[in-house]
Amino acid sequence: MPSASSSAPAASSSSLSSGPKTLTQNSSIYDIAHTVWQQYLATTPQRTMLLDAFMGFLVLVGGVQFVYCVVGGNYPFNAFLSGFCAAVGQFVLTASLRMQTSSAATSSSSSSTGGAKGKGGKKVVKGDAGEEGSGISAERAFADYVFGSLILHFFCINFIN
Amino acid sequence: MRWSLSSLFLFGFLAVVHALSSSGNRLLVVLEDGSEKDLYSTFWSDLEARGYDLVFESPKSDKLSLFDLGERAYDHLLLLPPRSKGFGPSLSPKNIVDFMNKDGNVLLALSGKSTTPSAVSSLLLELDLHLATDRSSVVVDHFNYDTLSAAEKHDVLLLQRPGPLRPDTKAFFDGEGVLALPRAAPHTLGDHALIAPILRAPATAYSYNPKEDLSAGEDVWATGSQLALVSAMQTRASSRFTLLGSVESLQDKWFSATVKAPNGKETGTANQDFAKQLTAWTFKETGVLKVGKIEHHLAKDDLTAEDLNPTIYRIKNETVFSIEISEYSHDRYIPFEVPANDALQLEFTMLSPFHRLKLEPTARTENSTIYSTQFTVPDQHGIFSFRVNYKRPFLTNIEEKHEVTVRHFAHNEYPRSWKISGGWVWIAGLWSVIGGFLAFVFVWLYSEPASAKVKKTQ
Amino acid sequence: MAESPLDVLLKGNSGRTTRGLLRIIILATIAAAAVSSRLFSVIRFESIIHEFDPWFNFRATKYLVSHGFESFWDWFDDRTWHPLGRVTGGTLYPGLMVTSGVIYHVLRFLTIPVDIRNICVLLAPGFSGLTALAMYFLTREMTTSPSAGLLAAAFMGIVPGYISRSVAGSYDNEAIAIFLLVFTFFLWIKAVKNGSIMWGSLAALFYGYMVSAWGGYVFITNLIPLHVFVLLCMGRYSSRIYISYTTWYALGTLASMQIPFVGFLPIRNSDHMSALGVFGLIQLVAFADFVRGFIPGKHFQRLLTTMIIVVFGIAFVGLVVLTVSGVIAPWSGRFYSLWDTGYAKIHIPIIASVSEHQPTAWPAFFFDLNFLIWLFPAGVYMCFRDLKDEHVFVIIYSVLASYFAGVMVRLMLTLTPIVCVAAALALSTILDTYVFAKNGPNPRAKANEDNSDGLRSTRKPNVGVTSYLSKAVMTSSVVIYLLLFVAHCTWVTSNAYSSPSVVLASRLPDGSQHIIDDYREAYYWLRQNTEHNAKIMSWWDYGYQIGGMADRPTLVDNNTWNNTHIATVGKAMSSREEVSYPILRQHDVDYVLVVFGGLLGYSGDDINKFLWMVRIAEGIWPDEVKERDFFTARGEYRVDDGATPTMRNSLMYKMSYYNFNSLFGPGQAVDRVRGSRLPAEGPQLNTLEEAFTSENWIIRIYKVKDLDNLGRDHNNAVAFDKGHKRKRATKRKGPRVLRTE
Repeated sequence: MPSASSSAPAASSSSLSSGPKTLTQNSSIYDIAHTVWQQYLATTPQRTMLLDAFMGFLVLVGGVQFVYCVVGGNYPFNAFLSGFCAAVGQFVLTASLRMQTSSAATSSSSSSTGGAKGKGGKKVVKGDAGEEGSGISAERAFADYVFGSLILHFFCINFIN
Repeated sequence: MRWSLSSLFLFGFLAVVHALSSSGNRLLVVLEDGSEKDLYSTFWSDLEARGYDLVFESPKSDKLSLFDLGERAYDHLLLLPPRSKGFGPSLSPKNIVDFMNKDGNVLLALSGKSTTPSAVSSLLLELDLHLATDRSSVVVDHFNYDTLSAAEKHDVLLLQRPGPLRPDTKAFFDGEGVLALPRAAPHTLGDHALIAPILRAPATAYSYNPKEDLSAGEDVWATGSQLALVSAMQTRASSRFTLLGSVESLQDKWFSATVKAPNGKETGTANQDFAKQLTAWTFKETGVLKVGKIEHHLAKDDLTAEDLNPTIYRIKNETVFSIEISEYSHDRYIPFEVPANDALQLEFTMLSPFHRLKLEPTARTENSTIYSTQFTVPDQHGIFSFRVNYKRPFLTNIEEKHEVTVRHFAHNEYPRSWKISGGWVWIAGLWSVIGGFLAFVFVWLYSEPASAKVKKTQ
Repeated sequence: MAESPLDVLLKGNSGRTTRGLLRIIILATIAAAAVSSRLFSVIRFESIIHEFDPWFNFRATKYLVSHGFESFWDWFDDRTWHPLGRVTGGTLYPGLMVTSGVIYHVLRFLTIPVDIRNICVLLAPGFSGLTALAMYFLTREMTTSPSAGLLAAAFMGIVPGYISRSVAGSYDNEAIAIFLLVFTFFLWIKAVKNGSIMWGSLAALFYGYMVSAWGGYVFITNLIPLHVFVLLCMGRYSSRIYISYTTWYALGTLASMQIPFVGFLPIRNSDHMSALGVFGLIQLVAFADFVRGFIPGKHFQRLLTTMIIVVFGIAFVGLVVLTVSGVIAPWSGRFYSLWDTGYAKIHIPIIASVSEHQPTAWPAFFFDLNFLIWLFPAGVYMCFRDLKDEHVFVIIYSVLASYFAGVMVRLMLTLTPIVCVAAALALSTILDTYVFAKNGPNPRAKANEDNSDGLRSTRKPNVGVTSYLSKAVMTSSVVIYLLLFVAHCTWVTSNAYSSPSVVLASRLPDGSQHIIDDYREAYYWLRQNTEHNAKIMSWWDYGYQIGGMADRPTLVDNNTWNNTHIATVGKAMSSREEVSYPILRQHDVDYVLVVFGGLLGYSGDDINKFLWMVRIAEGIWPDEVKERDFFTARGEYRVDDGATPTMRNSLMYKMSYYNFNSLFGPGQAVDRVRGSRLPAEGPQLNTLEEAFTSENWIIRIYKVKDLDNLGRDHNNAVAFDKGHKRKRATKRKGPRVLRTE
């Protein structure tokens, strides 16, 4: 955990600078959360919001299933697993897509300062699979996303039979 | 035409085999003293009338051999008590045991008149039948003796014919009349499931060695009904051995004798009937069970030939098992009836029985009964066997074992998720995710220009 | 092989395509060498399946090919584990069989009729060629030096540690699993570097394939989360890691759950919990990272602390509750034995009894890895020098695999790939430093063309090794080492790892080779002379072979899933006849098979394994079988006159030495394995009769007698047959038991 607080990815720092600063030093947790929400509404592009809406939907679906499992028992366990895993898997895939698209958007807009940092920037892939450019374009990310999702759905449907 | 010819032939054949043992008719009678043969003439003719080919041999004869080229030369063996030390080399205990192991039946008669040779004793020992240590005792009973012939010695026993051994067994030796057993050599039985007494001595009998002093009776070997006079042994393969304590009871003289118990009236003996029953049982005319078809299949209506006796079942299948059993009675097979108080049982076994079920008679043919039962295969996969293990005194052993495999549910035999109402929630969850994904993809592609406001309408 | 990387580099000035072509040619050569060096056993002996487990895999493959995939999936095998049977379709890793089944059908489709046996025999060498390629790709991800990948591929192709499990005929799960292991790691590294869903999904797919192929997939399941965890601890969280890990985990877990044998394990078994934990952790980190984008550090820390406390509290309570309530299975025994080498010996003799579960002897490392073993630390050091994400991976992998390889001989196999990677890194650095110091700018310039930002090591100015003498010395010594390595590998492969162990080879005094074929002789005897359903009891080592070669049902086999059943066999073997016989009857045993090496001096026989049988039986019946009884008062394990009565009366002893005396003069019988003279009077068997003894007495088969027809016990029956007069049995003590009906 200490690690997470010590390193600040470049992508997020850029958005940080543009947000309004309305917090005092000693505001409550609620205030902080509220501010975060305000910040979020203010700074997130619409398209990313669409992603977030979808993620929220997935959390809802997953949460309902989990609660039902706890309350109503998990008799066809494979069905529960595949239903739940589908929600979770789709969520993380969507989260990945969100990261990729938003970072691609910011790197294209704010001239990719993070690329200079050794670990933050995408490295060139040499050799046989070298057709990729630095960073991943939104289209490419989306194609990957669809690919991953289709595999996920295939497994889930197979598993639920 | 041909049919009638062949049926004629069949009838003729049936007539020939009439009243034959179920296991062959070659009977070897070992008789040491040829002159004694006439004493038993009624007995011999009874046997011949029932279709046996009697061959008389002296134990000293060179050509006497139980085996011919390694196979049995005779089906049955009747041994009368030897005079000398034993039956000689060709009838050594080992040969007789081999004969029995090859499904030969033996009737051994002893006599209290002479000392039983040690070779016979050691043969009997192998069968867990024990003679008195001195091997020359006779059974004496001061309450049940024939007052006419043995008023002094009290060594001709008069006995009722035996009823069923236990309430749940069939009686093969019962009937009216009194048996006279002169000078019977007694024996005792080991604790052994294969042997069964046919006729025990009365409770008041004891064994007595006429050659020794009476005073030497401090070590009482056995008394009363622990003394058996006639006993049967059936090997695991159902070949039969009968030990008859009194050879004299087979003589013509005793077949037609008149006897009188101490406080009874004069009657004729039932020895002839009893001898017939005894030989009939020993030489497999009675008490022979035969297993016919054994069928097992799934319990369903439209059975085809392929559905019979499958090698593999699945757990929790409904299964029907049936077994056809007939009993040989003197000259033909009749339907076998399980005695009252007894049950024919089926075990469904893997290491230990998972089911033990009573087989009920469900159908009857001309000469067999079909017993069957229906049950659910247990919820345990493995290699099971249907076992019918029916071993009763005087009946041939039925030990049937049929292996079947019980497999688990195949992957497509479980209920599908949508058949389980509990799974609908998650199916709905899964499809809502997929539907949501498709909608999302559609909207995403539709709102491709990054700055479009279209998606706001969502 | 060692010279080939040099060739590429010597042509450093030529164009990219030329070097690419050369690289392909070299890789093809490496693959060919990898395949061909594994064919020794086919040349020496014949195209035959080796050892034990492969026989089962072979049998399963035949079943798959002849019955189709569906019925293979539902296969209930009633010819093993009699009478329990085995749900084989649900308890095996089907990857291997399905792979060869697919190859078989593809070849048939291409109208190339190949016997399925040949596919099975040659599958392992074929996949080792692929492993070399995968190794090339994996190493390419680690370094910019083009020679490292080729070196690693070459090492992987011929290193004995890998050859030991992949010679022709060694048709085992490891044959394809190592390829999948290396390739999955390659895809994982690729995913981490690119942060791409696609690579993550591919890694998950290959992970799924790996799960279907080998139980060692748990290694990946734990290594990748550990890698991620270490990266998180190092403060290297990035969206790339999030993307690749979550994609891999979500898809990989689902994929692994498609295998019936694995089923719900990934969310139940503690072995898989670390992956789930890291998955949860990375969600939190990602969320925290996301939130941090909106608020300044001070507030963020407060928020974070609250979150951490809440989440960890819930997670800990949940874990404890689940473990206590038994929803999450406790750690499996094999896993414990990984941490505590003494654990298995005390608790699970069945695991300890397997030779490949023994701790590794030190010479084995050198034997299997040769000079790579001392290049290995150097390579790991190189990884520390420029510590990128993938290098962290190499370091973690090295540390873990070294430990595991030290614990279990079998896990040497997982160590081998990383040793090859590290050694190749080290060696290529040496070569680059010494060989090309003079035209140093060239590779670096090229590297800079290819990479926008190269490795630190290449950017560093070369230390001045310019003297031709030192170059020559270093280069030639490296070349000599490489040549020695190749020679060693070839020697080890041909001498140590190419024996099928079904067929034994020995040298006659005149030096010619003599084949001892007792196993197959005996198995074919069983096949020809016994009923199709005759149950054979033997120690579990031979179960698969009997099933595969003799095609007869067995009681226990190498799939040691039921310890009790094995213990039952152990008890039958180690008890007196009177005790064993009812066990044999109960399990419908028709024949008992023992392996006896006393005549030939074949040390892997059952008497030497006997103590394991005793121990395993003792684990279940501590009152009836006692290991102590098999040792003499002085603690010796003897088979001669000094053997304990328990030993001499045990069924195993009797079966091994029955009639052995008759081969020798009186009192001359000598057991050549134990080197001891046997008692003058051999053991007597009553309940069994000898049915078959192979040419060199290695395999002895006994038939279990039926119950005596007259109801006697076998002692008396045998005594009677031998003509002994029976003593009157009525002299019993105590009151006579009266017979009642």
